[in-house]
Amino acid sequence: MTHPTISASGLSLSYRGTRAVDEVSLRLERGVTGLLGPNGAGKTTLLRILATATPPDRGALTLLGHDPSTVRGRLQARRELGYLPQNPGFHSGFTAFEFVDYVAILKEHTDRRARHAEVRRVLDEVGLAEVRGRRIRALSGGMRQRVALAAALVGDPGFLVLDEPTVGLDPEQRMRFRELIAAAGEGRTVLLSTHQTEDVAMLCHRVVVMDKGRVRFDGTPGELVARARGRVWASPERSPEALAGWRTGTGEFRNVGDPPAGARLLEPTLEDGYLLTLDGASEVTV
Amino acid sequence: MTWHVPEDDLRAYATGDLAPPRLWSADTHLMACERCRLALGAHADPDELAAGWARLDAELDAPRPGPVESLLTRVGVPDHTARLLAATPVLRRSWLTAMALTLLLGAIVGRQTTPLLLLLTAPLLPLVGVAASFGPALDPTYEMAVVAPVHTFRLLMVRTVAVLATTVPVALAASLAVPSFGAVTVGWLLPALALTTLGLALMPWLGTVAAPALVGFGWVAALLADQLLSSHGALFPLTSAGRLAAGGAALAAAVALAAARDRFETGRHLNPSLRFTAGRLS
Repeated sequence: MTHPTISASGLSLSYRGTRAVDEVSLRLERGVTGLLGPNGAGKTTLLRILATATPPDRGALTLLGHDPSTVRGRLQARRELGYLPQNPGFHSGFTAFEFVDYVAILKEHTDRRARHAEVRRVLDEVGLAEVRGRRIRALSGGMRQRVALAAALVGDPGFLVLDEPTVGLDPEQRMRFRELIAAAGEGRTVLLSTHQTEDVAMLCHRVVVMDKGRVRFDGTPGELVARARGRVWASPERSPEALAGWRTGTGEFRNVGDPPAGARLLEPTLEDGYLLTLDGASEVTV
Repeated sequence: MTWHVPEDDLRAYATGDLAPPRLWSADTHLMACERCRLALGAHADPDELAAGWARLDAELDAPRPGPVESLLTRVGVPDHTARLLAATPVLRRSWLTAMALTLLLGAIVGRQTTPLLLLLTAPLLPLVGVAASFGPALDPTYEMAVVAPVHTFRLLMVRTVAVLATTVPVALAASLAVPSFGAVTVGWLLPALALTTLGLALMPWLGTVAAPALVGFGWVAALLADQLLSSHGALFPLTSAGRLAAGGAALAAAVALAAARDRFETGRHLNPSLRFTAGRLS
């Protein structure tokens, strides 16, 4: 294992009786790590803790060598951090350039010329050079997400936190966004929260599955797929043994669970491993 | 074209030393004037000039400084702070809200025979303006701002000063337009300072809406109680003891605010996620 750039140990956060993050420990390295989990799993809360937006109740966190529980450490970490929230807020009257410029000022880029050069660089990087003067309200959903990504990339951060950036995008926009995330992951630590197992399969060298505030799996996508090996089978009707089963385009049922004897086994996917991990509900670290 | 960029400015422009607002004038002019572009060539080597045109190209889409931003820069506000103030839509909204309330106040108070309504409302105007300029409920970029290296408290103070610098003079002018109340017309200033500071100091514990709301309702309730219960003629905030109390409260709140500055970074009630999805954390 290479030296981790992000290290979290025993992170917990509760609010009004809800334990959103429960004893989460993580070590992230360079490259794209996927964070999978159902709604309410605690993904967004964990991302906000890692992005220094919310302090944990308990636990230790080191971001790129800085301790965000101290004022100085938090400031240093924020200087090297890019954050794309789940619902990035825009002043819709701004142009793409104006919005990223505004965020760049908040990121301490005070010299006007250097800042504008940086704004142009990040807008070029996300492929928005041609529309940088266009108002955000006139941009498509995919373009708005790219504006938000450009804002997160200002200052060339070493750690990028992306909270469900592909939600609501059509397949073409999603593919374009995946290209950008893959490029952003070169030389950086990227944590990508998503509902899409395809995102993880295509982008991530590592995947973390969360449920009910806890880490249920932490390993490579291949290891998550391997958890479903021998537990996916085909049948003409839905098997009563299946935890989940659905009729596919061929007319056969695809079943996931503990197969009956003699079942015709199928090649598992990442989604099968994910479903079985959530069903198992036991904390497993590979 | 009768005006051209002076030689000294061209020299400074070529070396990157020309400061706003003269820089903005030069940028705008050079885009349209070939003569000045040729003159600029005499002050810079070709590589630097090419880099300069690339910068200028970037400026074509850059925000144009408006009159407010230009004015702020001319009076010495750093250009990035001027940009932050002029470009923040929530700040414009808070100014407009405070101005509208001030005008309304001027129109209504002018018809009153006692200063009670003036004292009830005028001290709250700066608080309303500040509250409307900050926080997850009103600022769509709040979450991005919170994780930016610019200290949240500094951002709040910049916005507070901007709001106070505009709302207080206007509210003061409106109240002076009601001369029948004499000294009362400026008697709300100290309470305004105390209420605004107290509202800010309570934000890390109560949130950006509840804190100013509580302070506002508390002020109204206390003043109405004073009006009902007091046997003397003058309202307490307008007496010497009242002014002293308001000054003391402002000072104490300022100390509390300074002590709580780091809580603006970590305060649970200022966190947009926990605030909006309580009981349904994701």
